Amino acid sequence: MLDLLTTLDAWLIAPLTDYAFMRRALVGGLALSLAAPPLGVFLMLRGMSLVGDAMAHAVLPGVALGFVLAGFSLPAMSLGGLIAGLLVAGLAGSVSRMTGHREDSAMASFYLISLALGVMLVSLRGSSVDLTHVLFGSILAIDDTALWLIASVASATLLVLALIFRVLVVECLDPLFLRGQGIRGGLVHGVFLGLMVLNLTAGFQTLGTLMAVGLMMLPATTARFWSQRLEGLIGLAILIAMVSSTGGLLVSYHLGLPSGPCIILVAGIAYLVSALCGRYGSLLARVRRRAAPLETDEHTCKPS
Amino acid sequence: MSRLTLEALTLAQSGRTVLENISGTFEDGAITALVGANGAGKSTLIQAIMGLLPPLSGKVHCGVSKERRAWLPQQLALDLTFPMSVEELMLSGCWPTHGTFKRYGPQDYRRMHTIMQRLGLSGLAHRPLGELSGGQRQRALLGRTLMQEAELLLLDEPFANVDTHTVEILCDTLREMASAGATVIVVLHDMEQLAKLADCVFLLAGGHAQWVEPETLLERHHASARRHAHTQAPFISLNLPDVPPCSTY
Repeated sequence: MLDLLTTLDAWLIAPLTDYAFMRRALVGGLALSLAAPPLGVFLMLRGMSLVGDAMAHAVLPGVALGFVLAGFSLPAMSLGGLIAGLLVAGLAGSVSRMTGHREDSAMASFYLISLALGVMLVSLRGSSVDLTHVLFGSILAIDDTALWLIASVASATLLVLALIFRVLVVECLDPLFLRGQGIRGGLVHGVFLGLMVLNLTAGFQTLGTLMAVGLMMLPATTARFWSQRLEGLIGLAILIAMVSSTGGLLVSYHLGLPSGPCIILVAGIAYLVSALCGRYGSLLARVRRRAAPLETDEHTCKPS
Repeated sequence: MSRLTLEALTLAQSGRTVLENISGTFEDGAITALVGANGAGKSTLIQAIMGLLPPLSGKVHCGVSKERRAWLPQQLALDLTFPMSVEELMLSGCWPTHGTFKRYGPQDYRRMHTIMQRLGLSGLAHRPLGELSGGQRQRALLGRTLMQEAELLLLDEPFANVDTHTVEILCDTLREMASAGATVIVVLHDMEQLAKLADCVFLLAGGHAQWVEPETLLERHHASARRHAHTQAPFISLNLPDVPPCSTY
């Protein structure tokens, strides 16, 4: 029994009590897990799951420019990323409105340009090690400034999300109702995209620009297998993200692997397991439903 | 003075003129059927009345504030995979009084339950929209407009894909709303429903519009149906000159 406790302590607690960088990474990861998954839930429900991915690539040139101008400074790189992300989102939106083409094709074009520009900028200045840092993150580099930044972004995101929650929900279901009420859907959409870019830039320190979107989308898509209610989806997504961040960090510590991919892979495993045996829409749920007896719906069968 | 008047309205969609020089006064407390072939401009006209499509020329005079105008779109326009319950959908009808921030109070819930009972939705408050039948969903959407206390109600083919029980409830509710003074405009394709429901008909064809008596339209339809017994000619194939205009409007 004592052996078990000692092993558990060595695996789960000791890395956090022994090393300050692990504690910082954990707090950063948990803060991100509070803010990013609710955004992911809305992205998923709006059929924009891949837009998050596109935006994660789009922030790269800004991050790279911050890196070229100020070295490995988180505020500079985050600000650069934020500007680049908003610029790409704005450009894609305007080109789509002007040409009448679908927004996703404009978004794809701009993020590819953006990505190439970003990789070019980093390689002009730094080594491939720097590029790896920017692309995949590094928990060792999380300092107090980074923590403050992540915590502020997470708090601001939750606050703004709470303020626009009702509008966002109604806009997702029936945008015309909202337009009829005199609310501009474009404004809500813009604020939402802004929040997303903000979270991606806050997340890249821990997870890297390419992985940051994983903590947003995977918990959301996983939660879909377990809940059919919006509150349930959001709560579960946050929980899954928190468990993945903590689990992923510990795995990366013990096996000496990069933290970003570890965290996302743990979330990925949760997704795969849920797809197999979740409560709604999973493989197992489908098999079970096929075996269940016929259900009659009293309300639709009511005689007129 | 009537709440809704169209004055020499010309409307275009994607650079193509759809309706030209449309005028008409919609009577308060009446149910008007908006009738026309596919592409005749029914949805375009609804958009213009809702204030979502600026006219090329002419004007929509509408004495109803934006918040009290309700539009029941075709069911396909809604994202039914969105995890929202009947209760949440209906409460969103409180938007004019509650906006983004105000909390729903006990009286809102009471009002909602009364409306749900009236629409035969009792016990379905927490059911997700995706699990409802077409008829139940249509009743829930009408419930939202009742919560909204709409004074101008536009419905786009509300009877498509719904059961007869729902059709009856919808017709009764629309009649009650009209009796209470609301202006109701319904896009209709079905002659039987038109005969039951409409007080007057606004017929769109060839980019123009004309008021016609429901009875006249029905007679023409039956005559045409007898002539084309094998092919079942739809009434909407009528051209404007075929139908004598109504004198009352």
